[in-house]
Amino acid sequence: MYSTLNYLLLFIALPLTVHHSIHSDTEHRPIAKIYPRLRSNVSNLCVTRVKMPDFYYMDLSAPCRSVMLTAKAVGLDLNMKMLNLMAGEQMKPEFVAINPQHCVPTFVDGDFVLWESRPICTYLASKYGKDESLYPADLKTRATIDRLMYFDMGTLYFRFGEYVYPVMFRGADKPDPEKLEKLQEALGWLNGFLEGHDYAVGNSITVADHTLVASVSTFEATGIDLSKHPNVVAWLARCKANMPGYKQANDQGAQEFGKMAKTKL
Amino acid sequence: MPLDLYYHPVSPYCRSVLLTARAVGVDLNLKKIDLFNKEQLKPEFVAVNPQHTVPTLVDGDLTLWESRVICTYLVNKYGKDDSLYPKDPKARAKVDAILHFDIGTLAARWAQLIQPIKSGKAKKPCQEHVDKLHEALEWLDGFLKGVKFAAGTDHVTVADLVLVANVSSYQAAGFIVEHYVNINSWIAKCKQAMDGYEELNGEGVKSFGDFVKSMIKDE
Repeated sequence: MYSTLNYLLLFIALPLTVHHSIHSDTEHRPIAKIYPRLRSNVSNLCVTRVKMPDFYYMDLSAPCRSVMLTAKAVGLDLNMKMLNLMAGEQMKPEFVAINPQHCVPTFVDGDFVLWESRPICTYLASKYGKDESLYPADLKTRATIDRLMYFDMGTLYFRFGEYVYPVMFRGADKPDPEKLEKLQEALGWLNGFLEGHDYAVGNSITVADHTLVASVSTFEATGIDLSKHPNVVAWLARCKANMPGYKQANDQGAQEFGKMAKTKL
Repeated sequence: MPLDLYYHPVSPYCRSVLLTARAVGVDLNLKKIDLFNKEQLKPEFVAVNPQHTVPTLVDGDLTLWESRVICTYLVNKYGKDDSLYPKDPKARAKVDAILHFDIGTLAARWAQLIQPIKSGKAKKPCQEHVDKLHEALEWLDGFLKGVKFAAGTDHVTVADLVLVANVSSYQAAGFIVEHYVNINSWIAKCKQAMDGYEELNGEGVKSFGDFVKSMIKDE
């Protein structure tokens, strides 16, 4: 099938080919351009490939799903490594050796180890984004995106956790209605932030939307009433319709979390 | 034209912005909000920031809150170079990860510890909350082992400016114990390296410590 010459050239050319991912453009060095049949053989074999980044995650976790949405948006394949936090898999010594905080998501790209979902999202956008649309460099826009990601962590999802986690994970009998009021207050603020434009910042999707939609879709699946927040409802529908790979990256996990939460709330 | 900063010196989040503004050489027009008398709930401030939190920065037509974002914005806009917030994606991600550890783990666990006491539901912190805070401090002590500054850099970044305001506050409240060797030596390095540390952070830290100790009553 392949000539001896091709095999010979493959052994020279293969170490020179670099892949970012299956879906992104493959960078071929000049030797493969000189020999077009070799280039197609190299592409077909794809034996030498830079290792895909490892991604430690759990589908139930909204922060994990936000990273998966960003990865889809930049076209980066991840080597998915699921950890069942409920079974304590994150406490295994081999994972604690990678991340002493033993949390998910954790991203490993060669010798670069990163946890905290929102920095992973902005890192992926900065490193792998084909343009800056997911995380624009304009200072005002970027500051607003950053503000919303911290809002999600420190206020919005935080208040959701305060409401549901005691019942779901800490043995409380019933949820505290005051905590639900605080969550609704935060949703009210988000509703205000979304006034007058399609997405979290302006009219195109950014990493702020990835972070926020992972949270808000989880709230929806848990049965949190969003009806008082029409901008949130409309924005959520837009994200579901327009984010690449939404169903796989986010919807399944949000539904699973919601199902689990509803049995306890 | 100086930027407006709505703030209160007892708040570590405000102090991190003061330290960062000094580090990049930006003048702030300080507008103190009396948190103890709930001045942040007055309509004129809610009109500026619907979430009515401090610190809040007004720079021309940009109104910004979330202290860590204010700090990174100040460096991005006014920094003479990117040393305080490196532009390289990996180096920046490391700084961001520390900033998120600060808000999502360290400060969150402090908030859970102090909230029942602030609201009067408890006279002293519950053991579970104390243990969770110490777990986070152990992690931080680990992150600081073998590195000069918090994001693994050999110079101060916004990660240090933000973290030190919180951590020095917990220290004043009595929660940093001697065995956190790396935390203690890193705080000492920050005091040396950060311009205006005593003026901008030292006094506020003392008020914070006094305030917390006045709330926690030993029974």
